[in-house]
Amino acid sequence: MVRKPSDYQSDVWIDWCPGCGDFGIVAALYRALAELDLQPEKTVIVSGIGCSGKTPHFVKVNGVHTLHGRAIPFATGIKLANPELTVIINGGDGDLLGIGAGHFVALGRRNIDITIILHNNTVYGLTKGQASPTLKRGLRPKALPKPNIQDAVNPIGLALASGYTFVARGYSMMTDHLKELLKKAIQHKGSALVDVLQPCVTYDNIHTVEYYKKRVYKLEEIGWNPIVEKIDEREEKLLRAWTKSLEHDDKIPIGVFYEDPHTPSFEDRIRDRLPSYLERPPARQIIDKEGRTIIDNEIFEKIFSTHIVETE
Amino acid sequence: MKELTVVIGGPQGAGLETSAHILTYSLARSRYGVLSDREYFSNIKGRHSYIHLTISSEKIPTSLTYPAQLVAGLDQETIFTHFKSLGEGGAIVYDLYLEDKTLDTIPSMEEDLKKRLHLEFREHGIDGSIKSLIKYISDNRKVRPIPINYSEVINEVSRKMALPASQAARYVSSIVIGAISGLLNIKKESIEYSLTLRFKDRPELIEHNKIIIDLVYDKVVAEHGSLLKLEESRLKDRKLMIVSGNDIVAIAKIVGGLRYQSFYPITPAADESFTIESYERLEVDGKEIGSVLVIQTEDEIAAITSTIGAALTGVRAATSTSGPGFSLMVEGLGWAGMNEVPIVITYYQRGGPSTGLPTRGSQSDLLFTLYASHGEFPRIVLASGDHVEAFYDAIEAFNLAERYQTPVIHLLDKFLANSIVTLPPPDLSAIGIDRGQLAYETSKDYKRFDVSNPISLRVVLGANTIMWYTGDEHNELGHIDEDPENREKMYRKRMEKLKIADEEIPMEKRLAYYGPEDADALLVGWGFTKRVAIDASRILSEKGVRAAYLHIKMFSPFPSKKIEEILSRFDKSKIIAIDHSYLSQISKAILVNTGVKIVKEIVKYTGRPVYLNELVEGVLRILEGEDRVVLTYGP
Repeated sequence: MVRKPSDYQSDVWIDWCPGCGDFGIVAALYRALAELDLQPEKTVIVSGIGCSGKTPHFVKVNGVHTLHGRAIPFATGIKLANPELTVIINGGDGDLLGIGAGHFVALGRRNIDITIILHNNTVYGLTKGQASPTLKRGLRPKALPKPNIQDAVNPIGLALASGYTFVARGYSMMTDHLKELLKKAIQHKGSALVDVLQPCVTYDNIHTVEYYKKRVYKLEEIGWNPIVEKIDEREEKLLRAWTKSLEHDDKIPIGVFYEDPHTPSFEDRIRDRLPSYLERPPARQIIDKEGRTIIDNEIFEKIFSTHIVETE
Repeated sequence: MKELTVVIGGPQGAGLETSAHILTYSLARSRYGVLSDREYFSNIKGRHSYIHLTISSEKIPTSLTYPAQLVAGLDQETIFTHFKSLGEGGAIVYDLYLEDKTLDTIPSMEEDLKKRLHLEFREHGIDGSIKSLIKYISDNRKVRPIPINYSEVINEVSRKMALPASQAARYVSSIVIGAISGLLNIKKESIEYSLTLRFKDRPELIEHNKIIIDLVYDKVVAEHGSLLKLEESRLKDRKLMIVSGNDIVAIAKIVGGLRYQSFYPITPAADESFTIESYERLEVDGKEIGSVLVIQTEDEIAAITSTIGAALTGVRAATSTSGPGFSLMVEGLGWAGMNEVPIVITYYQRGGPSTGLPTRGSQSDLLFTLYASHGEFPRIVLASGDHVEAFYDAIEAFNLAERYQTPVIHLLDKFLANSIVTLPPPDLSAIGIDRGQLAYETSKDYKRFDVSNPISLRVVLGANTIMWYTGDEHNELGHIDEDPENREKMYRKRMEKLKIADEEIPMEKRLAYYGPEDADALLVGWGFTKRVAIDASRILSEKGVRAAYLHIKMFSPFPSKKIEEILSRFDKSKIIAIDHSYLSQISKAILVNTGVKIVKEIVKYTGRPVYLNELVEGVLRILEGEDRVVLTYGP
């Protein structure tokens, strides 16, 4: 059966503000899921808190709406316990780069096969427009009583520094382009970040549709090759991608910045230690035999022999 | 001798733990029962640590006590710190080479203790040196000095084995093993067996250790005889397990079906995760029967939330931590409660608040575990009193979590975590695995939070259906829902699970009563105070005070009626709470749940365990009229 984007729409009314950039993200997501024909039962969307946190309720795949900043570790547990699941995270800039920044770094270090869709709108929307970690110093979106005095974090740069093996940026109003990025990210084997620029129509009067329209350009159009073709060019590609990520004022590049297919995923690293891991991950193991533990007295003494002394 | 208390001390990082390991395995090999506690600072190398052992030829020892019959020191700090713990006629093993060293030359010793000792030394005319201290205790307390020149031994061994002296010096802790083994008359075969087990892949270590131990053993026996000779053991066990609290819980979790454990390093919990990781591939005769994934996370928040994630897929998942870590886990705990996710949190209490006494014990987190996290949700809190209970409880924690689809906190403490005991291997034939309403398949109209029963069908994430979870109040499908009627129904559904648990969980899993029904006095405690309280009530009975002990194992759901009924049989002045906290938190938990106010209490919050000698004294003081006794024994 071939699924259509509408097959992934849930029955829940979407309560984002009219014109919100989130609509573009979820529309691109429906289409990416459909084009990849992902089985809803084997797909899980994990989110944090805030407007983006509601995303799982609007998508007809498994949804886990978690705590502020913690979507990544929840998703980590799900994916590692059952690696056959496709796990996607939808989180905001405050969620993933503020309160949850430690987890954001940790995911890169592990390179678990999880895709992050970062809803990047420079403000905390649901709490009425406070500055997020991606808002530049000196700016003052309309809800702020005073201009922001904290510097912005560079999501692409942070992802590259943390070890993400697929790093891209999209724009919520260019859904065709975004959909392609999401497909690539989901198909990539390893930790993938798609930083999605997204206007907050209610609280951010600076980063508007007009603002982005003037600045955004596609990396493909300048002949950018993000792929680490051979392992020995990893450093060079990483450095180029990082330099490119600094370009963020007059011109804003979107597209795939960096893609490294060589670094082993965390699942592969686990398999090196536990050879049966992918065939029998935690979620596929049987732990009891008719209500009894599979470890009987004899097996017990064999497994834990170093703790047992035979008395003389 | 039938039973013996021994203290072995030395600087952290000098091989004390290995020595205790070898000694315990040797004793177990000869069928002696051993219980040992390890006390140490938050430090890698140099600060004073010690092992306090009870060895018995008649039974598996159940509590720790003073005075000691033997103190053996790797260094001079041990002698200064523990000489007072020696009973009349005890023996002290020390380094003759250091006998002129004085108290003031030891930088690692805390000033508080130095000051107290100075006062005492002045009073008794001790000049501050080991020599003069040893003379004093041998003259006044009939303590038998066992001086050994450690450097001479090292030099001799270095010559014999053609080892550089610096390398031979690494075996200094074996001198102490040799001396103790000689004094106790432990069989050399048992020591060799133990060395072979410990250093199986490194024959040179077995050989070097053996040479030193034999040399000192023979020397001590020749000069002093087997002064503290242990009687032949009367234990009949053909096999004995040697486990710390961390080990037994790790092993139990694996037996209980743990397949995902996450942790962030913290004392005294981290060793449990290491032990589990060392068994990650469960192999029997070359065939893998399972594997456990152990993940070290970036913090405790990730530890609990990834555990929840794993549990959503149907895996028995757990995390293990201590106070500061649990403080970070609290928000995740609430999410698990709200979403009815069965997870197990193994919680080893240490001394708080804040970093507190990071390597010492306490029971001061009972109330915290009962109320942690905002809002209300059912939780199960069970606490274990000894290694055997900890084994069965660690398995039962998973059964309860899955049966009632709720987080379970398994409450333990540092005392148990770091104490090592010899035990007969457990019988697994009666252990059940209850996975509750877990399912891998369902119909198309599946609702994860079906309110028709407080305990809904729990289909795993990844089965043949989709489902939603959220920390917001939700409808039966798991979508956000703030409707007041839905709120009332869903809230009640969750909370009623606790009532069902209260009705279903048998009383023997929730409390235990030790001693005569018509006792004159009742001690009430939980956790690691169990064994010492039972032993104390036995000793008190011998002294003419018929005492019993009520041991509480489950604090949520609390066995209120039964406890109220037991307490009502006693005069209020004869009910004594024993607790490792300032507030006597067990009394507070009882008051909240039963309305019964316990007015007598014996508390200890120095971070050291309650010892049998001080507890007996404390109970007698209470029975003479005191309301509160604060115990402080132990260096």
